[in-house]
Amino acid sequence: MTQFMVDVAVVGLRILLAVYALIIIYQCFASMRRQKRQEAPLVMLYNSTIRKKIPVLCWENLIGRGKGCDIVIEDPTVSRSHCVLLRRKEGWFINDIGSKSGTRVNGRPVHGRHRVTIDDEIKIGSTTLTLRRGEEYDGEMRHHWFFSRVSSKPSVSAPALIFLTNLFHLFMAVEICISYEKFVLEAFEILGAVVLFSWVFYLFSAGVFRRSNFELETLAVLLVGAGSILLVSQDIMDAWIQIIAAMIGAAGYLIMLKFIENPDRIVNWRMAIMIISLVFLGINLAFGRMEFGAANRIYIGGVSVQPSEIVKVAYIFVGASALDHLQTKRNFLEFVVFSALCVGALALMGDFGTALIFFMSFIMISIIRSGDYKTSVLALAGAAFAVVIILKFKPYIAQRFAVWGHALEDPYNAGYQQSGVLTYIASGGLFGVGVGNGILRYYGASETDLVFGIITEEIGLIIALAFAVVLCGLVVYSRAIGTRSRSTFYSISASCAASMMLVQASLNIFGCTDILPLTGVTLPFISAGGSSMLSSFGLLAFIKAADERTYNRSKRLPQR
Amino acid sequence: MKRTMSRSFISLILAAAFLLGLGLLCLRYVKDGDMWANQTYNQHLAFGKGLSGAGKIYDRNGTILAQSVDSQRYYNEDYYTRLATLHTVGDGSYNIATAVQTARRAQLVGHNGIFGYGLPESLRPKGDVSLTLDADVCAEVYEEFAGKKGACMVYNYKTGEVLCMVSTPSYDPQNVPEEIPEGAYLNNAVSSTYSPGSIYKIITTIALMESGADIENMTFTCEGERDFGGDTVTCLEEHGEMDIYQAFAWSCNIAFAEAATTAGAENMQRVSESLGVTKSYLVGSVRTAQGHFDLSDANDNDLAWSGVGQYTNMVSPAYMAILCGAVANSGEARLPHYVQGERSGTTRLMSEETAEKMQDIMRYTVSDYYGDTMFGGLTVGAKTGTAEVGEGKEPNAWMVGYSTDAEYPLAFAVVVEEGGYGFYSAGPIARTAMIGCAQSLGFEG
Repeated sequence: MTQFMVDVAVVGLRILLAVYALIIIYQCFASMRRQKRQEAPLVMLYNSTIRKKIPVLCWENLIGRGKGCDIVIEDPTVSRSHCVLLRRKEGWFINDIGSKSGTRVNGRPVHGRHRVTIDDEIKIGSTTLTLRRGEEYDGEMRHHWFFSRVSSKPSVSAPALIFLTNLFHLFMAVEICISYEKFVLEAFEILGAVVLFSWVFYLFSAGVFRRSNFELETLAVLLVGAGSILLVSQDIMDAWIQIIAAMIGAAGYLIMLKFIENPDRIVNWRMAIMIISLVFLGINLAFGRMEFGAANRIYIGGVSVQPSEIVKVAYIFVGASALDHLQTKRNFLEFVVFSALCVGALALMGDFGTALIFFMSFIMISIIRSGDYKTSVLALAGAAFAVVIILKFKPYIAQRFAVWGHALEDPYNAGYQQSGVLTYIASGGLFGVGVGNGILRYYGASETDLVFGIITEEIGLIIALAFAVVLCGLVVYSRAIGTRSRSTFYSISASCAASMMLVQASLNIFGCTDILPLTGVTLPFISAGGSSMLSSFGLLAFIKAADERTYNRSKRLPQR
Repeated sequence: MKRTMSRSFISLILAAAFLLGLGLLCLRYVKDGDMWANQTYNQHLAFGKGLSGAGKIYDRNGTILAQSVDSQRYYNEDYYTRLATLHTVGDGSYNIATAVQTARRAQLVGHNGIFGYGLPESLRPKGDVSLTLDADVCAEVYEEFAGKKGACMVYNYKTGEVLCMVSTPSYDPQNVPEEIPEGAYLNNAVSSTYSPGSIYKIITTIALMESGADIENMTFTCEGERDFGGDTVTCLEEHGEMDIYQAFAWSCNIAFAEAATTAGAENMQRVSESLGVTKSYLVGSVRTAQGHFDLSDANDNDLAWSGVGQYTNMVSPAYMAILCGAVANSGEARLPHYVQGERSGTTRLMSEETAEKMQDIMRYTVSDYYGDTMFGGLTVGAKTGTAEVGEGKEPNAWMVGYSTDAEYPLAFAVVVEEGGYGFYSAGPIARTAMIGCAQSLGFEG
């Protein structure tokens, strides 16, 4: 009878864990959706020619006759893309971008960036726009659907969210204690480290850097903690590396947020970051050792580093950095060359999974930046050609393709990993067999490539899918907040960073479950590996920066 | 900004594709989850770990063939029953593919899509499995083999239920011997093929009918041997002049060599294929071993021998039972299964007309040659075979057939490796199996 009671309790705990994960994730996203966004437009332009009030919602606004402009002026004397109205720390500026008829402020022609203040008259073509205060706008404001549940009531507070997450990790640690008596101490050490990490992270974020909200960070902590605790009985050293890397990653995250605060600084650093990235990859090519079919890591004082992971962050940075006058051909070409060098270096290392992630991001960025679908189609065709060549010269990759879709027919050789994942996913069911009770953890490289299978086997399909949905949710959230970002840099980088993580998650999740060919990439925030953890936090910083409130609490912005 | 945002819609497409992928994964999980879990390498089930709390396996009469008590797996207390049902029940290993403890271990252990194998033993809903077999008949049949290798299968060709399926050699799953007899992991009834010898004359007869020959009015002459394509075909006796009924009952080689020649290679090949010799059929959840019939390199003499079943012909016992079932069931074969609750499909192998003519011929063999006392009064049509398998070896003995009694619609196939003459070696096993299975359905004879 007592055994029966224990069994019921064990199963009850597993079900509770799944329900609990759903609650935390729901609360985080619900809290994000309730964000109270600035009600009034930033400023307003008054078109005195046709007596129309135009709300200005963004920090960077393209003005012109073209339909794609943020502010469309129906005046034949206005150029298609005439000028940019932009906001910086110092205030508002107008910047003519090579219009035919020129731009005048208070009657004087201006060139380059020119400061404008309230009641200044901006004349473009034969239209006169007067800069007015945002509060004077009395028209309808459109709400983004994501933020339709905006409420003045406070949503779940950050400390409460962190506490809920800590509790989730506690339950996981308790499960280890049930399965393995000898790991009780280690489980609670790691749990302690995760709890400490979450609170220190919060205190620095909210206290020192005065950042608002902590939902994105809570989600990251949730995934990091789950990944680390799953590692406890697998390899305790890996679990510690995971937490230390998360701490460094979180520090990097906060520093990066500070660094990209000023959109002008981003432009100045662009070239330097490009060069540093290429040097990183060059060092990797020169000193990388061949392991598991790829030479994508180097050793610095006994610590293994994957430069390509760090370059991922730099790549988004370079790809998204735009000038005042938005997209110009020249720096786009630069970016194409940079991309080719990155993808080429990764292909030389034999790291085709990461090369694919870079390539997918390239397609994303180039479409968002230039809207040029033709180039993208051409690039895709080129990539298909490259794949054929790779398959011809890299037989082990061809083998992965050959087994794709029918891994279970060859469970002892080519389909070994995928069949294992499927079998143990089915063995785990919706609620898992308990942390530490899985079999998949004994497979080679399972803590990185097959981690989705480990999560499913040990804590169940519900939690595994919920974690996957978190990464998907970041993409939706990035686009939603991007509508009110301070600069196109933030909206592009947020969308692209979230997409990059999702592409990576797709390759990981669908690769190990035989829906896509297995490429051996990591699952952001969860897979074991320090470099991967750093890059995950780096990418998250772009999403955080796109939220207009991120920099609001730090100092009062100049009003008008 | 506006352009950027409208273009960044592509990220939502990516997100949608990702969700679709997760949906596909879930769909596959629901559809194939049991199959994924039921893999032989699954360590959650290894070393009898899974079976220690597995459900019971019953035969059709409710006899327990395997059960778990106090985390131990126990098989039927009768030694012969254990050996006779090894290939359908199984042992602790995954070595016997046709055994339900292999093929349905997930169900027995209590796997389900919600908890996987995650439930502790005390909470697991154990899945019991009932077989359609009659274990007593299987045990009798096993004893009848008397140590010879081979297989016997009897099934109801109306419902598809297998009442008797025995494969030898076997071993005791309760006390697994150190040395497993060679071939004991194979269920010979389903997974092995043998040279058919004279039982192939059923197919040759159908090929002759389908070639358009008027078989009712044909006569054959046997002088002990005859030249076909420059080489001889021999017969065991000089049968003299006979019609198709006598030729079939006496199993005259000369007559069927002539029949194959008359039908021609094209018809022999076509009919063999349309009757399913070269196909694989589902018996429950396992597939029969594919038979073999290929005249592409055959000369005229080979064609003649192929009509006698002595060229490169190969068939499985399960296939022969299915074919005999189709003859008895107006040409439509009901595929066999041996787990209750499974449903088996049907497939038409021949026309109703062909099946009726074939019934007459096979029935004549028993009624006018072997005598109905052999099967205790059941209305049986049958064919024996004695297949030469090579120098220094006794031939394989076969007997295949069916009963047409409405209450006992049974088809059977028996093969005894190196059994010698078909009638004397396979006959008694067929008799025991058929009478036993008919009794299981209520026959009193």
